[in-house]
Amino acid sequence: MNGPKIYLQINGMNVITQTTVSSFVVMVILCVAGYFLGRNLKKRPGRMQVITEKGVAMIYGLVEDTMGKHNAYWTPYIGALFLSSICGSLIGMTGILRSTTSDISTTLTWALMTSFLVWGCTIKNSGLKVFLKGYINPMNIISDIAQPVSMGFRHFGNIMGGSVLTSLLYTALAAGSAMILKLIKSSGLAVIAVVAALGGAAFFFAMKKKKLALKILGIALFLIALSAALEYFGVFEEIPILEVGLPGILSLYFDIFSGFVQALVFSLLTMVYVGMACPPRR
Amino acid sequence: MTGFEQIIGINPWTALFTFCNMIITFLLLKKFLFKPVKKMIDDRQKEIDDMYAQAENSRAEAARLQADYEEHLSSARAERDEILRDAVSRARKRETEIVEEARSDAAALRAKAESDIAQERKKALNEVKNEISSISISIAQEVVEREITAADHERLVTEFIGKLGEPDD
Repeated sequence: MNGPKIYLQINGMNVITQTTVSSFVVMVILCVAGYFLGRNLKKRPGRMQVITEKGVAMIYGLVEDTMGKHNAYWTPYIGALFLSSICGSLIGMTGILRSTTSDISTTLTWALMTSFLVWGCTIKNSGLKVFLKGYINPMNIISDIAQPVSMGFRHFGNIMGGSVLTSLLYTALAAGSAMILKLIKSSGLAVIAVVAALGGAAFFFAMKKKKLALKILGIALFLIALSAALEYFGVFEEIPILEVGLPGILSLYFDIFSGFVQALVFSLLTMVYVGMACPPRR
Repeated sequence: MTGFEQIIGINPWTALFTFCNMIITFLLLKKFLFKPVKKMIDDRQKEIDDMYAQAENSRAEAARLQADYEEHLSSARAERDEILRDAVSRARKRETEIVEEARSDAAALRAKAESDIAQERKKALNEVKNEISSISISIAQEVVEREITAADHERLVTEFIGKLGEPDD
């Protein structure tokens, strides 16, 4: 598992990396989408506007529930953070671009932005004196350092861990399929035929009984037999047949669910920290 | 491409670009998406609230008008009853008055008629008396064949008639 690719290096500094490009693409996508969704708003909305309004209202609702009504003006920032995070995680699924959030530089930057916002709001709302008084207890310095670090590493770790697990899974599945195909291939053409027949029988039986799991098993057996046959006759070599299907299901969790949850957690933590620094005015 | 970065490594350039991208995303989304959409939602909400308030006002107004109208109606009805009752009672009174008047008129008329009749009769009788006296005088002249003064005649006749009987008054 590698880090982001380096595209441009000046004086030994990695100026432009894969993350930079992904981040830029995410920004462009979000801004263009936002521009087109926020254009031509009507009192009687069309379908797209209804969805847009629903989404915006949901983010506003989330912010108002978490930070209080007086902090509703934070919504654009929280929304931008949330959308950047979720799109940054999902863009890794394209396979061309790397998730921006699987780079610690990105998540730590966002976490530090949150911290600076918190400090700024504390100074603005309670004054410099109160802010500095908080550090009489030196534990607060540690907590202020730990806060962005934990936020940044949590987000990074979850997305990165997902990709690491996915790549480990791919390796394991490739090895597993190589092993199975080798086993069947070396047993001769008869075994291949038997496996194919078993798969076909399972499939047709499942068609009659309408059992999904059995149907999938039948197809899988048939495909294994097919790829074993292809390898047997030397058409292809090392077909990673087991990599079909299974990683897609896991990707639902590691990429979509995890990306969504981490974006939500990051935004929620930002909202809570900033919300605590901006108490309601009397 | 000149290779790969470390998996866990902080690149200040990436951080800078991320920061800038985040700020740009924030500003553009705020300007083009969040503000207009929020404004639209709020405007619509306000419009709906206004409409409901207006409808509520209209309903209250209508209810008030209806109550007013009903009150008017009932008062008019009461007034009408009052007027009717009044008119009936007045008519009754007038009726009895007219009847009374007619009765008294009739009575007066009758009394007058009676008195007239009596007078006429008296007059008639007197005339008859005079006629008789003059006839008697001429007859007596014929009979006596002598002249006596008119005054004598008068006296004689009156005595005569007096003997005949007193006329009724």
